[in-house]
Amino acid sequence: MRRIAPLRTFVARAAHTNAVVPSSTASALELIRSQPSQYVVASFAGRKYILTPRDMLTVPHLRDVKIGDVLTLDEIHELGSREYTLRGNPVIPSSRVKVEATVVEHTKGNMEYKFKKKRRKGYRKTIQHKQPYTRLRIGDIEIPIEQQS
Amino acid sequence: MSAPRLLRAQLRSKPANGHVAFIPHIRKLVFEYCDKWPSSAHTRSFLLTRLQSLARQNPHVEVVVKQRHHKEPIVRGFYANSRDKVIPLNSLEVSAIQRKVDLLLDSSGAKIKPLKRRTVESTTEATRGIWSGLHADRPSI
Repeated sequence: MRRIAPLRTFVARAAHTNAVVPSSTASALELIRSQPSQYVVASFAGRKYILTPRDMLTVPHLRDVKIGDVLTLDEIHELGSREYTLRGNPVIPSSRVKVEATVVEHTKGNMEYKFKKKRRKGYRKTIQHKQPYTRLRIGDIEIPIEQQS
Repeated sequence: MSAPRLLRAQLRSKPANGHVAFIPHIRKLVFEYCDKWPSSAHTRSFLLTRLQSLARQNPHVEVVVKQRHHKEPIVRGFYANSRDKVIPLNSLEVSAIQRKVDLLLDSSGAKIKPLKRRTVESTTEATRGIWSGLHADRPSI
Protein backbone atom coordinates (compact mmCIF):
# COMPACT_ATOMS: atom_id res chain seq x y z
CA MET A 1 0.00 0.00 0.00
CA ARG A 2 1.43 3.37 -0.96
CA ARG A 3 2.13 5.90 1.75
CA ILE A 4 0.17 9.14 1.47
CA ALA A 5 1.64 10.75 4.59
CA PRO A 6 3.46 13.60 2.70
CA LEU A 7 0.12 14.79 1.20
CA ARG A 8 -1.50 14.74 4.66
CA THR A 9 1.25 16.91 6.18
CA PHE A 10 0.90 19.39 3.33
CA VAL A 11 -2.86 19.54 3.95
CA ALA A 12 -2.25 20.21 7.67
CA ARG A 13 0.03 23.11 6.82
CA ALA A 14 -2.33 24.58 4.22
CA ALA A 15 -5.39 24.48 6.49
CA HIS A 16 -6.84 27.67 7.92
CA THR A 17 -4.60 29.67 10.23
CA ASN A 18 -5.76 30.11 13.78
CA ALA A 19 -8.17 33.04 14.16
CA VAL A 20 -6.51 36.17 15.49
CA VAL A 21 -8.28 39.18 16.94
CA PRO A 22 -5.83 42.10 16.74
CA SER A 23 -6.08 44.68 19.51
CA SER A 24 -6.08 47.77 17.30
CA THR A 25 -6.72 48.82 13.70
CA ALA A 26 -3.02 49.50 13.28
CA SER A 27 -2.08 45.91 14.19
CA ALA A 28 -4.84 44.60 11.89
CA LEU A 29 -3.49 46.68 9.02
CA GLU A 30 0.03 45.47 9.87
CA LEU A 31 -1.14 41.85 9.54
CA ILE A 32 -2.70 42.57 6.14
CA ARG A 33 0.30 44.57 4.95
CA SER A 34 2.67 41.73 5.84
CA GLN A 35 1.00 39.36 3.37
CA PRO A 36 2.23 39.20 -0.24
CA SER A 37 -0.93 40.50 -1.98
CA GLN A 38 -4.03 42.47 -1.04
CA TYR A 39 -7.40 43.34 -2.58
CA VAL A 40 -10.03 46.03 -1.94
CA VAL A 41 -13.80 46.09 -2.34
CA ALA A 42 -14.54 49.65 -3.41
CA SER A 43 -17.53 51.57 -4.75
CA PHE A 44 -16.93 53.42 -7.99
CA ALA A 45 -19.56 55.30 -10.00
CA GLY A 46 -22.32 53.72 -7.90
CA ARG A 47 -21.14 50.10 -8.24
CA LYS A 48 -18.94 47.85 -6.07
CA TYR A 49 -15.94 46.08 -7.51
CA ILE A 50 -13.25 43.75 -6.18
CA LEU A 51 -10.00 45.38 -7.26
CA THR A 52 -6.32 44.49 -7.10
CA PRO A 53 -3.33 46.53 -8.30
CA ARG A 54 -2.70 46.63 -12.10
CA ASP A 55 -6.36 45.88 -12.90
CA MET A 56 -8.09 47.52 -15.85
CA LEU A 57 -11.54 48.79 -14.74
CA THR A 58 -14.13 49.63 -17.43
CA VAL A 59 -17.02 51.88 -16.40
CA PRO A 60 -19.58 53.86 -18.43
CA HIS A 61 -18.22 57.17 -19.74
CA LEU A 62 -17.19 59.66 -17.03
CA ARG A 63 -17.79 63.22 -18.17
CA ASP A 64 -15.41 65.42 -16.18
CA VAL A 65 -12.19 63.42 -16.45
CA LYS A 66 -9.42 63.60 -19.03
CA ILE A 67 -7.01 60.82 -19.85
CA GLY A 68 -4.03 60.79 -17.52
CA ASP A 69 -6.06 62.08 -14.55
CA VAL A 70 -5.49 60.25 -11.27
CA LEU A 71 -8.56 59.54 -9.13
CA THR A 72 -8.49 58.39 -5.49
CA LEU A 73 -10.96 55.70 -4.44
CA ASP A 74 -12.57 57.07 -1.28
CA GLU A 75 -15.31 54.45 -0.75
CA ILE A 76 -13.33 51.37 0.26
CA HIS A 77 -15.62 48.93 2.02
CA GLU A 78 -13.21 46.08 2.56
CA LEU A 79 -9.48 45.48 2.54
CA GLY A 80 -8.24 41.92 2.51
CA SER A 81 -5.38 39.53 1.90
CA ARG A 82 -5.08 35.76 1.78
CA GLU A 83 -5.88 35.13 5.42
CA TYR A 84 -7.16 38.42 6.90
CA THR A 85 -9.98 40.83 6.02
CA LEU A 86 -10.75 44.27 7.38
CA ARG A 87 -14.28 45.54 6.89
CA GLY A 88 -15.04 49.24 7.06
CA ASN A 89 -17.94 50.80 9.01
CA PRO A 90 -19.25 51.50 6.38
CA VAL A 91 -16.02 52.72 4.76
CA ILE A 92 -12.36 52.46 5.67
CA PRO A 93 -11.05 56.04 5.90
CA SER A 94 -8.57 57.07 3.23
CA SER A 95 -5.98 57.93 5.91
CA ARG A 96 -5.69 54.15 6.52
CA VAL A 97 -5.81 52.80 2.97
CA LYS A 98 -5.08 54.68 -0.23
CA VAL A 99 -5.87 53.38 -3.72
CA GLU A 100 -5.52 55.47 -6.86
CA ALA A 101 -6.82 54.90 -10.37
CA THR A 102 -5.45 56.51 -13.55
CA VAL A 103 -7.79 57.26 -16.45
CA VAL A 104 -6.25 55.45 -19.40
CA GLU A 105 -8.73 56.04 -22.20
CA HIS A 106 -12.23 56.94 -23.30
CA THR A 107 -13.44 54.37 -25.83
CA LYS A 108 -16.60 53.01 -27.29
CA GLY A 109 -17.74 49.39 -27.27
CA ASN A 110 -18.62 47.59 -30.46
CA MET A 111 -21.71 48.47 -32.48
CA GLU A 112 -24.98 47.03 -31.17
CA TYR A 113 -27.92 46.68 -33.52
CA LYS A 114 -31.52 46.76 -32.35
CA PHE A 115 -34.14 45.85 -34.90
CA LYS A 116 -37.73 46.96 -34.25
CA LYS A 117 -40.69 45.79 -36.29
CA LYS A 118 -44.47 45.74 -36.04
CA ARG A 119 -45.87 43.24 -38.47
CA ARG A 120 -48.45 44.17 -41.11
CA LYS A 121 -48.07 47.87 -40.15
CA GLY A 122 -45.17 48.86 -42.34
CA TYR A 123 -43.10 49.83 -39.28
CA ARG A 124 -39.51 48.67 -39.14
CA LYS A 125 -36.37 50.42 -38.04
CA THR A 126 -32.80 49.57 -37.03
CA ILE A 127 -31.10 51.39 -34.16
CA GLN A 128 -27.30 51.39 -34.09
CA HIS A 129 -25.62 52.12 -30.77
CA LYS A 130 -22.05 52.27 -29.47
CA GLN A 131 -21.81 52.67 -25.69
CA PRO A 132 -18.97 54.98 -24.60
CA TYR A 133 -16.77 53.68 -21.77
CA THR A 134 -13.94 55.01 -19.62
CA ARG A 135 -11.11 52.63 -18.71
CA LEU A 136 -9.00 53.09 -15.58
CA ARG A 137 -5.86 51.36 -14.37
CA ILE A 138 -5.83 50.64 -10.61
CA GLY A 139 -2.61 51.61 -8.82
CA ASP A 140 -0.98 50.05 -5.78
CA ILE A 141 -2.84 49.58 -2.49
CA GLU A 142 -0.98 51.79 -0.01
CA ILE A 143 -1.39 51.08 3.71
CA PRO A 144 0.66 53.82 5.38
CA ILE A 145 2.46 52.95 8.64
CA GLU A 146 0.95 54.88 11.55
CA GLN A 147 3.42 57.40 12.90
CA GLN A 148 3.45 57.39 16.72
CA SER A 149 3.77 61.07 17.65
CA MET B 1 20.00 21.56 -3.43
CA SER B 2 19.91 22.71 -7.07
CA ALA B 3 18.73 26.22 -7.94
CA PRO B 4 15.05 26.46 -9.02
CA ARG B 5 14.51 26.34 -12.79
CA LEU B 6 14.21 29.81 -14.33
CA LEU B 7 11.71 29.78 -17.18
CA ARG B 8 12.01 32.31 -20.00
CA ALA B 9 8.40 33.43 -19.57
CA GLN B 10 9.09 34.47 -15.96
CA LEU B 11 11.51 37.15 -17.16
CA ARG B 12 8.87 38.93 -19.25
CA SER B 13 7.18 42.06 -17.89
CA LYS B 14 3.42 42.42 -18.12
CA PRO B 15 2.29 45.77 -19.54
CA ALA B 16 0.20 47.96 -17.23
CA ASN B 17 0.16 51.49 -18.65
CA GLY B 18 -1.14 53.84 -15.99
CA HIS B 19 -0.21 51.67 -13.00
CA VAL B 20 2.74 53.76 -11.89
CA ALA B 21 3.45 55.96 -14.92
CA PHE B 22 1.01 56.85 -17.67
CA ILE B 23 2.14 57.30 -21.27
CA PRO B 24 -0.56 58.65 -23.63
CA HIS B 25 -1.26 56.19 -26.41
CA ILE B 26 -1.60 58.67 -29.26
CA ARG B 27 1.65 59.85 -30.83
CA LYS B 28 0.70 61.59 -34.12
CA LEU B 29 -2.29 63.30 -35.73
CA VAL B 30 -2.23 63.86 -39.49
CA PHE B 31 -4.77 66.18 -41.12
CA GLU B 32 -5.15 65.76 -44.88
CA TYR B 33 -7.20 68.30 -46.80
CA CYS B 34 -7.68 69.74 -50.29
CA ASP B 35 -7.12 73.42 -51.06
CA LYS B 36 -9.81 73.68 -53.75
CA TRP B 37 -12.76 71.39 -53.12
CA PRO B 38 -15.69 72.68 -51.02
CA SER B 39 -15.86 69.43 -49.00
CA SER B 40 -12.65 70.55 -47.25
CA ALA B 41 -14.00 74.03 -46.40
CA HIS B 42 -14.85 73.25 -42.78
CA THR B 43 -11.58 71.37 -42.36
CA ARG B 44 -9.65 74.37 -43.68
CA SER B 45 -11.40 76.70 -41.24
CA PHE B 46 -10.69 74.25 -38.38
CA LEU B 47 -7.00 74.16 -39.31
CA LEU B 48 -6.83 77.96 -39.44
CA THR B 49 -8.70 78.62 -36.18
CA ARG B 50 -8.39 75.69 -33.73
CA LEU B 51 -5.35 73.67 -34.66
CA GLN B 52 -2.67 75.70 -32.91
CA SER B 53 -4.43 75.70 -29.52
CA LEU B 54 -5.05 71.97 -29.91
CA ALA B 55 -1.35 71.34 -30.54
CA ARG B 56 -0.41 73.50 -27.56
CA GLN B 57 -2.80 71.69 -25.20
CA ASN B 58 -1.45 68.28 -26.29
CA PRO B 59 2.33 68.62 -26.33
CA HIS B 60 2.79 64.82 -26.45
CA VAL B 61 1.15 64.63 -29.90
CA GLU B 62 2.97 65.33 -33.18
CA VAL B 63 0.53 67.28 -35.36
CA VAL B 64 1.03 67.11 -39.13
CA VAL B 65 -0.94 68.93 -41.85
CA LYS B 66 -0.77 67.54 -45.38
CA GLN B 67 -2.39 68.44 -48.68
CA ARG B 68 -4.34 65.73 -50.45
CA HIS B 69 -5.48 67.19 -53.75
CA HIS B 70 -8.94 66.40 -55.14
CA LYS B 71 -9.77 64.04 -52.29
CA GLU B 72 -12.10 64.21 -49.27
CA PRO B 73 -10.54 65.50 -46.04
CA ILE B 74 -9.49 62.98 -43.39
CA VAL B 75 -7.73 62.88 -40.04
CA ARG B 76 -5.45 60.00 -39.12
CA GLY B 77 -4.36 59.13 -35.58
CA PHE B 78 -1.24 57.02 -35.07
CA TYR B 79 -0.89 55.13 -31.80
CA ALA B 80 1.85 53.52 -29.76
CA ASN B 81 0.53 50.01 -30.55
CA SER B 82 1.39 50.70 -34.24
CA ARG B 83 -2.28 50.90 -35.28
CA ASP B 84 -3.93 53.89 -36.85
CA LYS B 85 -7.47 55.25 -36.92
CA VAL B 86 -8.80 57.18 -39.92
CA ILE B 87 -11.88 59.42 -39.72
CA PRO B 88 -13.36 61.18 -42.78
CA LEU B 89 -14.28 64.83 -42.18
CA ASN B 90 -16.18 65.69 -45.35
CA SER B 91 -19.69 66.15 -43.95
CA LEU B 92 -18.70 67.63 -40.59
CA GLU B 93 -18.89 71.15 -39.20
CA VAL B 94 -16.00 72.64 -37.20
CA SER B 95 -17.43 71.62 -33.80
CA ALA B 96 -18.03 68.08 -35.07
CA ILE B 97 -14.43 67.95 -36.37
CA GLN B 98 -13.31 68.98 -32.87
CA ARG B 99 -15.32 66.09 -31.37
CA LYS B 100 -13.76 63.59 -33.77
CA VAL B 101 -10.28 64.87 -32.96
CA ASP B 102 -11.05 64.53 -29.22
CA LEU B 103 -12.18 60.96 -29.91
CA LEU B 104 -8.81 60.22 -31.51
CA LEU B 105 -6.89 61.88 -28.67
CA ASP B 106 -8.78 59.92 -26.01
CA SER B 107 -8.51 56.55 -27.71
CA SER B 108 -5.84 53.94 -27.10
CA GLY B 109 -5.67 52.68 -30.67
CA ALA B 110 -6.80 49.22 -29.63
CA LYS B 111 -9.36 47.49 -31.84
CA ILE B 112 -12.96 48.17 -30.82
CA LYS B 113 -14.09 45.17 -28.79
CA PRO B 114 -17.22 44.40 -26.78
CA LEU B 115 -16.72 45.99 -23.35
CA LYS B 116 -20.17 45.39 -21.86
CA ARG B 117 -19.13 42.32 -19.85
CA ARG B 118 -15.45 43.16 -19.30
CA THR B 119 -15.72 45.17 -16.11
CA VAL B 120 -12.48 44.22 -14.38
CA GLU B 121 -9.61 42.71 -16.40
CA SER B 122 -6.97 41.45 -14.02
CA THR B 123 -3.58 39.79 -14.48
CA THR B 124 -3.07 39.47 -10.69
CA GLU B 125 -3.48 35.98 -9.26
CA ALA B 126 -6.39 35.44 -6.86
CA THR B 127 -5.45 37.16 -3.57
CA ARG B 128 -7.34 34.79 -1.34
CA GLY B 129 -6.06 31.72 -3.19
CA ILE B 130 -8.08 29.27 -5.26
CA TRP B 131 -9.98 26.54 -3.45
CA SER B 132 -8.96 23.03 -4.32
CA GLY B 133 -10.93 19.95 -3.32
CA LEU B 134 -7.74 17.91 -3.07
CA HIS B 135 -6.17 20.29 -0.53
CA ALA B 136 -9.13 21.02 1.73
CA ASP B 137 -10.23 19.43 5.00
CA ARG B 138 -12.27 16.32 4.38
CA PRO B 139 -15.93 17.14 5.14
CA SER B 140 -17.37 15.21 8.03
CA ILE B 141 -21.00 14.72 8.89
